[in-house]
Amino acid sequence: MSERRPDVSALGPALLILFCAAVGLKLGSYPQYVAAIAIISMLAGIALVVLVGLGRCITLASGSFMAIGAYVSTLAVTDLRIPYLATLVLAAAAGGCAGWLIAFPGTRFRGHNLAMVTLVFQSVCIILIRESTWLTGGAEGIHVPAPRLFGLTVTSDRSFLILIGIAAAAMTLLVTVLVRGRFGKNLQAAAGNEIAAEAFGVSVRDYLTAAFIVSSATIGFAGALLAPRVRILDPDSFGVLDSIFMLAYPIVGGMQSIWGGLLGGGGLRVLPELLRPVADYQELFFATLVILVVLFFPGGLSDLIRRACALVVKQDRLPAAEPAPVERPPSPVPAKYKQYADELLVVEGVDKHFDALHAVNGASLRVPVGGIHGLIGPNGAGKTSLFNIISGFLDADGGKVAFADTSLLGLRARDRIRLGMTRTFQNVAIFGQLSCLENVIIGLGRNAVLPAMAASFDGFAGGMASARERRRAFVALESVGLADQAQARAGSLSLGDQRRLELARAIVSEPRLILLDEPVSGVAVSEVEDLRQLLLRINAERQIAMLVVEHNIPFVTMLCRSLSVMGAGRILAEGKPAEVVSLPIVRQLYFGEEVAA
Amino acid sequence: MLGELGFVLLAGVKFGALYALAALGLVVVHKATKTVNFAHGAFAMLGAFASFLIVVKWQWAYWAAYLLVPPAIGLVAAALEFVVLRRLRQADMFTVVIATIFLGIALAEAFRLTYNTELLAVPALFTGPPLVVEGLFITRDTAWVIAGALATAVACIILFRYGRFGRGMRAMAANIRGAQLCGYSIDGVYMLAWFLGGALAGLTGVFIAPVTGVSVDLAISIITAGFVAGVIGGFDSPQGAIVGGLLLGIAESLAAAYVSSAMKNCVSFLLLFVVLMWRPEGLFAERAGRSV
Repeated sequence: MSERRPDVSALGPALLILFCAAVGLKLGSYPQYVAAIAIISMLAGIALVVLVGLGRCITLASGSFMAIGAYVSTLAVTDLRIPYLATLVLAAAAGGCAGWLIAFPGTRFRGHNLAMVTLVFQSVCIILIRESTWLTGGAEGIHVPAPRLFGLTVTSDRSFLILIGIAAAAMTLLVTVLVRGRFGKNLQAAAGNEIAAEAFGVSVRDYLTAAFIVSSATIGFAGALLAPRVRILDPDSFGVLDSIFMLAYPIVGGMQSIWGGLLGGGGLRVLPELLRPVADYQELFFATLVILVVLFFPGGLSDLIRRACALVVKQDRLPAAEPAPVERPPSPVPAKYKQYADELLVVEGVDKHFDALHAVNGASLRVPVGGIHGLIGPNGAGKTSLFNIISGFLDADGGKVAFADTSLLGLRARDRIRLGMTRTFQNVAIFGQLSCLENVIIGLGRNAVLPAMAASFDGFAGGMASARERRRAFVALESVGLADQAQARAGSLSLGDQRRLELARAIVSEPRLILLDEPVSGVAVSEVEDLRQLLLRINAERQIAMLVVEHNIPFVTMLCRSLSVMGAGRILAEGKPAEVVSLPIVRQLYFGEEVAA
Repeated sequence: MLGELGFVLLAGVKFGALYALAALGLVVVHKATKTVNFAHGAFAMLGAFASFLIVVKWQWAYWAAYLLVPPAIGLVAAALEFVVLRRLRQADMFTVVIATIFLGIALAEAFRLTYNTELLAVPALFTGPPLVVEGLFITRDTAWVIAGALATAVACIILFRYGRFGRGMRAMAANIRGAQLCGYSIDGVYMLAWFLGGALAGLTGVFIAPVTGVSVDLAISIITAGFVAGVIGGFDSPQGAIVGGLLLGIAESLAAAYVSSAMKNCVSFLLLFVVLMWRPEGLFAERAGRSV
C-alpha cells in the first residue's frame, strides 16, 4: 500500500504522438511532412480540449495564439539570436500571456459574447501583425531560418518530424497530466456547476483563466514548432477561418478527453491531404461534419470508439479495486473547537433588504458544537436569504455572522471550506460529468489552481498525498453507503443517491459544521427516514454540527435538537422542537389557528 | 473642414444604417430564442448574392430584388431552423452557438464554391446627379440606403410593439413556460423569428450589395458589425440595435478617416470590449436585470 504507483495511462497520448512520428519516419518525404503538420494539429486539438471541452469556453482566437507563438519564436531567433529550443518556451510563455489577457473578458462571458470577443481579438491580432511591418514584415511575411539544435541544422522532412514529434510529445505529456489529474477534474467541475464549485473552494474565474492560459500556451508552443516548417511566416496563414476550423478539432474528435483532441486534430489535418483532388470542398465538408457531429454524435469520435469498444469488450474489466478502508473510531471534536460550546456558529441581528422588502430583520440564532439546529418557516419567511448569507452566497446589510469566532461577513463562499464549514444544496449540485469518487475528492478542499496543478503531477507520479486523498474520499463514500458506486458517473445516480453523494462531499473534509439546504426535498418518501438516520449517524460518529433548512416538519422535528422558526424576516420562536411546534404563534403561522388572547 | 467632416459622418451613417439593419435581425432572433445567430452574416451574404443574380445576371427590374430576396432568405433561415436548430432545443447555449457558427461557414463556403473568383459588383439603384444639402454632396444611392434601411428598421420596431407576433416573442423571452401556457407555440415562434431574422438579413444584403460588392468576406464583416451593434444597444432592444449600428458606423468612419484604416476594426473591438465590461446588458436594455 505504501509503494508508489505512477499513473502510466497518462503516458498514452504522448506515446501516440511518438508512434505517429515513428510511422512517418518509415515512409517517404511527403508523408513525413504531413505527419509533422498533423502532430502540430494534434497539439492544438488537445489544447482546445482543455478550454473548449473541459472549460466549455468557445474560442475563435486559436489562430492568433498560434501566430503569436510562431512570430515570437521566429523573431527571437532572428533578432535576438536566442537558440531555437529556448524560443519554444518563450513562445509558450507569450501564448500564455495572450491567453491571460483574453481571459479577462473571457471569464466574464459565456456563449455568444465569448465567441465574439475572441473573434474580434483574433481579427485585431492579425491586423496588428500585418500593420507592424517594421517588426513582422507585414503581409509579405518573414523568412524563418532553419532551426539549429546542438550544432545541427534541421532542414530535411525527416529531421523536422523527429524534432516536432519529440517536442510535441513532451508538451502533450504535460497537458495530459494536468487534465487527467486534479486540475482537469476541478476545471470540469467549475464549468459544470459554478455554484457548487465555488462552495467547495474552486474559483470558477481562476480555473477558467488557467484554462485559457494552459490552452493558449500550448497553441503558442505548437505555433513555434510550425514556424520553421512553413519557411515563410505571414499573418494570413492564421486567419479567422483557421481559428474556426481549429475549434472543429475537439468537437469532431470528442471534447471530454485528450484522445478526442488528438483524433480530431490529427484526423482533420490529414484528411485534406488524402482528399487533394477535391480540396475545394474541404471547408464545406468540415463545416457540415461539425454540424452532423453536434446533432447526432455529441460525444465526438472518441466517444463513438469508446462505445464500440464497450460493445465488443462487454464490461469485462471491473474498475480497479480500492484499498479496503481502515475502520475508524468516532472522531473526537478537536480541542480548539470545544471552547465554543454553544457558540460554534453565531448569527446576531442580521438584516437584509431587497429594495422595499425587508427579507431578514434582525435574525439571530446559535448552533452549538456537535449540535443539530433546524430553521423552519413558511415560504417567504426569509429562511433562504438567511441561509445564503451564512453560506456566503448573499451579502448581509448588517449584523454579525461568526463561525468559531471568525467573522464570515465579507468572506467569499469558497473560503468557508477552509474554516471547516461546508454545505449541500436544495437542488442537488453534484458534478455530473465526474465519477462519485472524483466528486468527493473535490470536497476535500485545497482547490486553488496552483495546488491542484501540483496535485495533478503528484497523482501522475503516484505520490502518497494523492493515494491518501483517494482513501479519505472512499471512506466518506462508504459512510454514506455509496462505496460500490465510487467509479460510477455522478450524473447517472438516482436523486436520493445524489443527495448522499452531496453529503459525502460535504463531510470528507471533516468540517465542524454542515449547512443542509432542504436535504430531503424531492426525495422519495421511503428514503427520507434513511437519510435522517444517515445524518444522525454522521453527527454522532464525526461530531459534525448541522444547520438544517427544511420544509418537512416531521423530518426536522425528529432530526434536530433545537429549532428556530422564522416568519416575515424575524425569528419568532426558538427552543426544543416539540415545544416550538406546539407554540401558539407557530401554529398560527403554519395552520392559521387563532392565537388565544 | 466642415465639408470633410460632414462627408465622413455621412459615410458613417450610411454604414451605420446597414449595421443597424443587420443588428435588428440578430435582435429579432435573440429576443425569441435567446441565442445569437452566427449564421446571420452568411444569410446577408446570400441576400447580396441573390440580388446580384436578379439585377445583374438575370437583368430583372431592381425592385424585384427588394421584393423577392427577403422572403427567399427568410425561407432558407426558417428551413435551417427546422432542420438543424430544432434538434438542439434541449442543448445548452454553448452547443447552439457552435452549431450556428458552422452553419454560417457552411453557407459561406457553399457560395464560395459556386462563385469562387472575384468580387461581384452590383449597380446602385439610383444613379442620378447627387443631391446638395447645405454644401454637402449626397449621392442618391446614399440617401436611399440611409432612408430605406432606417425606415425598415422603424417599421420593424412598430411591428414588434403592437403585433401579436412581437408580443409572443417578448413573452417567450420573458418566460418560455408561461408563454406556452398562454397558447404560444415554441416551434411556431422560433421558426417565425428565424424567418424574420433571415428576411432582415436578406434585406441587409440587398441594401449592401451595391455599396461593398458581393464576396465571402461579407459574411464575417456583417456578423461582426451586427453583433457589435447589438451588444452596444443590448440584444433585447430593437431601438438599441439602431442606435448601436449608427454609433458603430460613425465611430468606424471617423477612425478610418482621422487615424488609419487599420484602426477601423480596432474600433469595433474597443466598443465591444468597453460596453461588455461596463454594461454587458447593453445601453438600451429593457430591464435593469433580474434577481436570481
